[in-house]
Amino acid sequence: MIRRLKRWQAALCVLVAILTVTLSNCAQQAPTPSTEGGNSPSGSPAESTALVFGSPGDPKSLEPGNVEDGNSLYVQQQIYDRIVDYKDGSTELEPALATEWSASDDNLTWTFKLREGVKFHDGTEFNAEAIKVNFERWWDPNHPLGFRDAGKTYAIWEGLFGGYKGDEDSLLQAVNTPDEYTVEFVLKQPFAAFPAAIGSAYFGIASPTAIEQAGADYGIAGSQAIGTGPFKFVEWRTGDRIVLEANPDYWNGAPKSQEVVFRFITEPASRLAELRAASIDFTVDIAPDQLSELQSDANLKEVRRPPFNVGYLALNPSYEPLAKKEVRQAIAMALNRKQIVDSFWSGLATSDGQFMPSSLKQYQDANLGDYEYNPDQAKQMLADAGYPNGFPLELWYMPVSRPYFPTPKPIAEAFAADLQAVGIQVTLNTKDWAAYLDDRYKPPGYQAFMLGWTGDYGDPDNFMYYHFGPGGTKDLGNWENPEVFRLLEEARQESEESERAKLYAQAEKIIFDEALRVPIVHSEPLLAQRANLIGWTPSPLSTESFETVSKS
Amino acid sequence: MLRYIAKRLLDLLPVILGITILVFLFLKLIPGNPAIVLLGPRATPDQIASLSKQLGLDQPLPLQYLAFISKLVRFDLGKSIISGIPIWQEIKTRFPATIELSVAAMLISMVLGIPAGIIAAVKKNGWVDNIAMSTSLLGVSMPVYWLGLLLIYLFAVNLHWLPPSGRLGINVDLQPITGFYILDSILTLNFRALGDVLAHLILPALTVGTIPLAILARITRSAMLEVLSQDYIRTARAKGLLERWVIMKHALKNALLPVVTIIGLQFGTLLSGAILTETIFSWPGIGSWIYNGILTRDYPVVQGGVVFVAIVFVLINLLVDISYAFLDPRIQYK
Repeated sequence: MIRRLKRWQAALCVLVAILTVTLSNCAQQAPTPSTEGGNSPSGSPAESTALVFGSPGDPKSLEPGNVEDGNSLYVQQQIYDRIVDYKDGSTELEPALATEWSASDDNLTWTFKLREGVKFHDGTEFNAEAIKVNFERWWDPNHPLGFRDAGKTYAIWEGLFGGYKGDEDSLLQAVNTPDEYTVEFVLKQPFAAFPAAIGSAYFGIASPTAIEQAGADYGIAGSQAIGTGPFKFVEWRTGDRIVLEANPDYWNGAPKSQEVVFRFITEPASRLAELRAASIDFTVDIAPDQLSELQSDANLKEVRRPPFNVGYLALNPSYEPLAKKEVRQAIAMALNRKQIVDSFWSGLATSDGQFMPSSLKQYQDANLGDYEYNPDQAKQMLADAGYPNGFPLELWYMPVSRPYFPTPKPIAEAFAADLQAVGIQVTLNTKDWAAYLDDRYKPPGYQAFMLGWTGDYGDPDNFMYYHFGPGGTKDLGNWENPEVFRLLEEARQESEESERAKLYAQAEKIIFDEALRVPIVHSEPLLAQRANLIGWTPSPLSTESFETVSKS
Repeated sequence: MLRYIAKRLLDLLPVILGITILVFLFLKLIPGNPAIVLLGPRATPDQIASLSKQLGLDQPLPLQYLAFISKLVRFDLGKSIISGIPIWQEIKTRFPATIELSVAAMLISMVLGIPAGIIAAVKKNGWVDNIAMSTSLLGVSMPVYWLGLLLIYLFAVNLHWLPPSGRLGINVDLQPITGFYILDSILTLNFRALGDVLAHLILPALTVGTIPLAILARITRSAMLEVLSQDYIRTARAKGLLERWVIMKHALKNALLPVVTIIGLQFGTLLSGAILTETIFSWPGIGSWIYNGILTRDYPVVQGGVVFVAIVFVLINLLVDISYAFLDPRIQYK
């Protein structure tokens, strides 16, 4: 025993000796503590001016035009500018990298005058050529900086602009640069929402030089994301945080805060706890059922994002009973939508007959009305349509929470209960999210399913055309209505807002009557901040710049 | 001994091959393909088809598997199809986080669990035993998610003693060298960072450590009870040895064998990443990463991550087996 102990002691001595030597070596090499970001040299957290944002997760990438998730777009919004932007908290356009813009008389050419003297964060000059490179790499499958061979798709481009260069459906025909600060987009067909669409958060303008240097790796963790925006990229520690610092030379004036840190906190309960512990300053994606906890803490403030989404129940006409319009209307009337919305959204939502949210009020038909809750009449309508004893219906609910359906399963159960009451025998189904999205396209598709939409850009086209226009009804057995198609196409080509509003109102009437995607809810996503945070105006479009946000 | 180790290492190859096949097949069994996740709800069937082709997902399964294996043997784990980040790069930054958390959790569970088990065994059916055993039952059965939130609310939100989540405060300057933040802060003699890192470590380590702690306490107790009833213990006591000596040397050493097995197994499990804890505490480790990979059908992440974790697990088990030789002289490896 004694001998053994000695061996241990010897080993311990050696270990200590090694550690001491290593430590002293390292101490000599260790750099003096740096004061990165220029703030809080004394290091006390209380003195920090850094804004800390609780993000629900890592971005997929910081490369513009190639991702659509909110976590990526929120960071991109800070680093990049877009050609045009949206006014704080609204869907109205305002100048950004372009100071003015106009359409030609035939509505086929959009000309943008660009801001002069703007520099990318890497010091390179911003000009029309930079815009051209950015747009062409998204649009042109053969663009040398597109890196399609590395698996890049820029799917959002096809989603919003019909197709890529060479495709028949491509809306864009050419990007021209008549002089250094003018850029022209030539379209194949008039598209009134074009400025709104390129102002969406997807299309930030990145430094062509930086893209060329980083190649296909541009935008991934470890690369440098370079834009012209209010904040410069500093560092990305995956799973942990992204650090941005103020761009003192920002064309719109230096941002109010020196530093913004995006911390990745996936769990909503943890995000709220972090906020209460004051280790983050503001955050998004708070669940409606956390509202009371949020309100109970005097140091916190609830913040509501203006509604810009729709949660709907789709009724697929390729399923025999649902082929009749009257049956679909009966279902819409059998659902006690108001009560369901009141019970599951904690007052953070409204229910009406409009497919478009109220942020697009100027395009809505104010006299549209609503599907009144009336189970007796619904029963009668079912009987008249030949289903006095109802029919079996498979209703699919989403496996994941979305702002428009925060708790899909219990909501689906409430639907089912209402429908059972009028004799429809509902079976509830769900499957994995990716499969859920994919399988709804496989003919004949689901009989009935829950889904929703959050707008990409502030234009009704983005809600209506994608759900009821050509190609938008693949999950509804390719339903088509020539009148609706005509109205939506016409609205795309009309540049006068009041005329467009009339066209959309007409289309809405038919869509309301057809009851294909029964609008259930427009929700106000719940956000939260510490009481001492000022200057944060959430945009209906899901992300906004933090240039005016600071702490008092 | 060396030959034994070499033989065991060789034995690992078929095990790991089996794991790769299982992981590969299970992933393909999950419905939904990464193309859809990448493209989002707006995707048209055409887009999904063309991206699937680009990702090689239209190939027959055996070919996809062969492609995966042929890269694996060249230590090429590929890149995440979602983020484009090389798998190795992620493992390099995330595995140290998981190790740090696991080691801290194991330390907590050993330091508290083994003595609790010993005392419970010695004072069998006394009040210490009763308290220790009912607490440990609670520990095993408590949902990790709930425990984690409870700790966050108590120590971070209400008492403000500890940070609620994360691995490093945002105002602390620590550039990763090894990726082990404790080590990095010691190496750079940055004691402010060290304090911050430790403060961030306590709550998640307690959360992760609870179950191993409870299991260790129970195993130690039953192993000790069995040994204490042996004849040689009676003999030792009859010789007039100090009771402390009887328990600590004669009994404990022989009771340790099952305890070490459990420690090894638990440690291996922890190293594969505590998904729930890492998620609640925003801990940038292996578990939350693979979990995310599963949700987004990021095949390279899940395949690479699981194979890596499996290898670690098997190696730890090997270490446990080898340690028997030191603990029990009757065991010899040839």
